[in-house]
Amino acid sequence: MILKGEMSMLNVLHLQTIDVDKIYTELKMKRDVSPQFFMRIPIIIDCAGLVLDDTKNTISDLFGLFSSLKKAIHELGFTLIGIRNQPESMKKLLLNSGWTIMPNNAKVKPSKSVNKANQEQKNSKEKQNVISTEPPTKGEPEQKTIESTGKIINKPSLMIDRPVRSGQQIYAAGSDLTVLSATSAGSEVMADGSIHVYGALRGRVLAGVKGNESARIFCQSLQAELIVIAGRYQLLDESDTNLIGKPAMIHLNGEKLIIEPLA
Amino acid sequence: MSKVIVVTSGKGGVGKTTSSAAFASGLAAKGHKTAVIDFDVGLRNLDLIMGVERRVVYDFVNVINGESTLKQALIKDKRVENLFILPASQTRDKEALTKEGVESVINELKEDGFDFIVCDSPAGIEKGAFMALYFADEAIIVTNPEVSSVRDSDRILGILQSRSKAAKEGRTVKEHLLITRYSPDRVEDGDMLSMDDIVEILSVPLIGVIPESDTVLQASNSGNPVILDNESPAGKAYIDVVGRFLGEDIPLRFTKAEEKKGFFKKLFG
Repeated sequence: MILKGEMSMLNVLHLQTIDVDKIYTELKMKRDVSPQFFMRIPIIIDCAGLVLDDTKNTISDLFGLFSSLKKAIHELGFTLIGIRNQPESMKKLLLNSGWTIMPNNAKVKPSKSVNKANQEQKNSKEKQNVISTEPPTKGEPEQKTIESTGKIINKPSLMIDRPVRSGQQIYAAGSDLTVLSATSAGSEVMADGSIHVYGALRGRVLAGVKGNESARIFCQSLQAELIVIAGRYQLLDESDTNLIGKPAMIHLNGEKLIIEPLA
Repeated sequence: MSKVIVVTSGKGGVGKTTSSAAFASGLAAKGHKTAVIDFDVGLRNLDLIMGVERRVVYDFVNVINGESTLKQALIKDKRVENLFILPASQTRDKEALTKEGVESVINELKEDGFDFIVCDSPAGIEKGAFMALYFADEAIIVTNPEVSSVRDSDRILGILQSRSKAAKEGRTVKEHLLITRYSPDRVEDGDMLSMDDIVEILSVPLIGVIPESDTVLQASNSGNPVILDNESPAGKAYIDVVGRFLGEDIPLRFTKAEEKKGFFKKLFG
């Protein structure tokens, strides 16, 4: 048994309100943009920006709302890992009912000023709950929220240094794929990210498998049977290109796969 | 140190048995104690090609099942010193082969002092072929200069490098490409894949090219491995293959199209 420290990417749901129905709707919309990407991704709830109306919600009411939220998140297919920067009053209750309390990291504690908050809510345009991905913080004062568009590549490229033979399938989950030799007819190479083949690319090639539309395919000799990026596919036979057998780069433009010479 | 060498191809009818017989005979002729095993249970051919079909008493499956000892089943070749043949069963099928059984036979051969154990694989990628390649240290991939053979060779290469015992233990099986039934004239005419094409597609080092030759059929019919035929170009090419396998640097022969001789040139030389 080895206990190791590791960095990993987390998806954080920043709450501004605890309007469960609203959150459910917004989260569902987000998920439906790229359902495969968001399937069962780990998520933590961050209450740093949460504005509570203390006069309306008692602690048990609040707890009920958090429980509904937990259910809603689970229903949508996310995996709830924990909560952080939760209202102080809720901490014990959440802890006792099995919620995982993550380390707090916010500079600003949840505001308890109702009027001011309401004013802010009315005035600001985007008071939506934001999904972001960020590395788990260890006392970092600043948090950056990056809008995720399914671009997350958080692992180094999977490197294959032997030919990919007919009948073999290689899948680089959560990263790019680099093949240092040729891929054979009848093989399949797939990646969540981009695919780089330093040799002839034959067989099938599928990049951006989970919906990453910015994934690209690079090869030294384009002889692939089937080319797919983020679900849009094209047979080489049906492609209008003169780059067969030549170094090529393929990317997605809208719904069309564009095949260009490798610079 | 004993070496287990599998002669495989994926595709059927490309020359695995012919090559196994020739290769094993060549190794033995150079003084190495060699066994050649027929893994094609139910469709055995090695005994025919080696001319020992009337001397088969016990076979590979008998040994695995403990119905005979290895020594009782091994047939000593009458032409080449140091050469022994372990025939397959004709009445049973590939299900009779087990990993443990095959392993124990191979280990016993190693203990008996065999330098080389040549495994003649059946065609396909199912149990028989899998058993033949599972314990291999090196592999000779027999390929015809023809598209389906090349594709099937590629497939068996993938299986070799991912599912063999060596692969499971983190070692690589050393691969050698043997092109058989090569016709340089047809390659020059553009009808046939060239050896460079095949090497480029498969990315495996070439150990030899065996030319298409009528003498191969004659050899099978007479039960004499073609390498023993001094007149045969195919036989000579197999001799080169054995030499290269043992580390000698031998240039390729029989790979260039013959100059088309005009009438007068033929007359006067």
